[in-house]
Amino acid sequence: MSDRRIGVYICHCGGNISDYVNVETVRQAVANEPGVVVAKTAMFSCSDATQQEMIQDIREQNLDGLVVASCSPKLHLPTFREVARRAGLNPYRYTQVNIREQCSWTHTNDHAGATEKAVRLVRAGIARTNLTDPLQPIVIDTVPAVLVVGAGIAGLRAAVGLADLGLSVYLVEKSPNPGGRVGGLGAMYPHGKNGRQLIDRLVGEVRKRELVTLFTNAEMVAKSGTIGSFNVKIRVGGKAPGEISVDVGAIVVATGFDNYQPAAGEYGYGMDGVITLPEFKKLLDGTAGELEYNGRQVKDIVYIYCVGSRQQGGENPNKYCSRYCCNAAVHASLQVSEKSPRAHQFHLYRDVRTYGKYELMYNEAREKGAVFCAFGRDEPPGVASGPDGKLVVTVRDLLTYGEELAIPADLVVLVTGMVPAANSGLTELLKLPLGQDRFFNEIHPKLRPVETMVDGVFICGTCQGPKNSSESVASALAAVSQGASILKKGYVELEPLIAEVDPQACDLCGDCLNTCPYSAIEQDTAAIRINSAQCKGCGGCAPVCPKGAINLKGYTDSQVKSMIDALLKEI
Amino acid sequence: MVQVNPGFIDQVGQAKTFNAAACMNCGVCSAVCPMGIELLPRKLFRYVLLGVEDKVRENSATIYSCLLCKMCEVNCPAGVHIAENVRTLRYYLYKK
Repeated sequence: MSDRRIGVYICHCGGNISDYVNVETVRQAVANEPGVVVAKTAMFSCSDATQQEMIQDIREQNLDGLVVASCSPKLHLPTFREVARRAGLNPYRYTQVNIREQCSWTHTNDHAGATEKAVRLVRAGIARTNLTDPLQPIVIDTVPAVLVVGAGIAGLRAAVGLADLGLSVYLVEKSPNPGGRVGGLGAMYPHGKNGRQLIDRLVGEVRKRELVTLFTNAEMVAKSGTIGSFNVKIRVGGKAPGEISVDVGAIVVATGFDNYQPAAGEYGYGMDGVITLPEFKKLLDGTAGELEYNGRQVKDIVYIYCVGSRQQGGENPNKYCSRYCCNAAVHASLQVSEKSPRAHQFHLYRDVRTYGKYELMYNEAREKGAVFCAFGRDEPPGVASGPDGKLVVTVRDLLTYGEELAIPADLVVLVTGMVPAANSGLTELLKLPLGQDRFFNEIHPKLRPVETMVDGVFICGTCQGPKNSSESVASALAAVSQGASILKKGYVELEPLIAEVDPQACDLCGDCLNTCPYSAIEQDTAAIRINSAQCKGCGGCAPVCPKGAINLKGYTDSQVKSMIDALLKEI
Repeated sequence: MVQVNPGFIDQVGQAKTFNAAACMNCGVCSAVCPMGIELLPRKLFRYVLLGVEDKVRENSATIYSCLLCKMCEVNCPAGVHIAENVRTLRYYLYKK
């Protein structure tokens, strides 16, 4: 049968499990499974007392395998692996069986069925544990250096933060000058701080730090290696072109956004006097006295919101809100009130999203005479040319009882949003996943907001999605702390549950090479090898191998077969 | 289609004595009006803010039927000086 000595613990989870699953029935049904020497139930397996009891059992009964049937491994797999480790048992000889999410919570109306399912799942867990081998985490020494791609406000701030933690930084900027979008701005909301000056200050801080090397006119062109130890090639243009190779432990991507560019004719774009918000900001920043456009005094301004954001139809609509534009337009409106106090300003919006403390700017704009009109999403405003060289904007205003208004305008400002920057090369190079909105995707929007599916590669700022500059800087600093937390430790530990090739069985056919989404399989004339730092243990390669030469550690073919047998065994 | 006339805003809307910018169109004023004036003040003020002169002229009888009792004003959650605004409108209509 089995010469293993396995301990099995069935958890009540208070009543979360035992209200629906008869845990004592489960215990009795599995107590005589091959290899099982201890079978117990517990009110809360994760409690200190039960953990102590498990440790004692492992030591006194010389257990060489542990199974806890409780909640999702997402919650307590690390807990019980740690219990095993403390008791002197290899943590990879632990198996978690989820009888809460998969049995009690899903089958609340069928207690007998939930119990039977729990029995089968626990048997499968025991079968797998019978065939576990002790495994050691993969340890990789880390290089104390970081590549930061993009020297806008996020990239610059990240570089300063990383350098202050003692890490070398290679800051790569595609354009001839650092600064990005913010570097081209004058007064920014909410306090009127000057974008150019903010960037100058940050660049000054970067220059003070010997640990930071700034490359302009430069691009990353190749990347190899894995978390903790990447090799990156940077192509530098300009006066002395060349290619530089650097080793880094982590990569921070801060490549920013592009402004939405309206199509010709979209809300009259292309007509004299119809401009985008960035174009309007340039005009404002370059005007000292009263506002003029093409030599004409600007008396009446109409703003049209949500241009290029929250789109309903068309090809690849930008369904998201660009987050900064309402605030920026309202702030621009306040700037106009300063420069041209007698100007009339009409804001045509779908919903005003001057969230948080920016609401105060919105109130101030209204108090200074700006009028806000709401249009329905199915009835966007129209822009046409009118008498006296003016433009006329028509809109059905929901705040004026659905009245259709004709508003004369010297200037129509299309409040355009953000779109993902065109950097498909980088996406390819880093294999970064994109969201449906085509911005780079984080692992978890709340809990892991700057980490990506590619270990060691972090994203921050607007390459991840629309943000204002303070939010960009906050996310840059999050990337700093995440990156540094790996590199300051000096090493990273990776899960050893990865693919392995049996060189005896492998005939070098190479069928597996294209199955790997992480490029972790390497072939030369002598052998096929798995790059242990790059393999994620997804198992995609294993079933493809015609010789059955690839096994996933922890989920070997024999383990999976034994689990299927155990699941199908008669109750 | 009603025409927005920014010049009208300058004459009335931006006069120091007229201020309805804080109005959020909640309608409390209309609800408490003893004369049951539906148009005043919230709807009419909106037309003034937008500079729709025609609507204001069309409704001069309504503007004059207000008792200036200030029931609306004491109940206005946004603190708009409604009676003062009505007086300003009457002055404007009279002057024209």
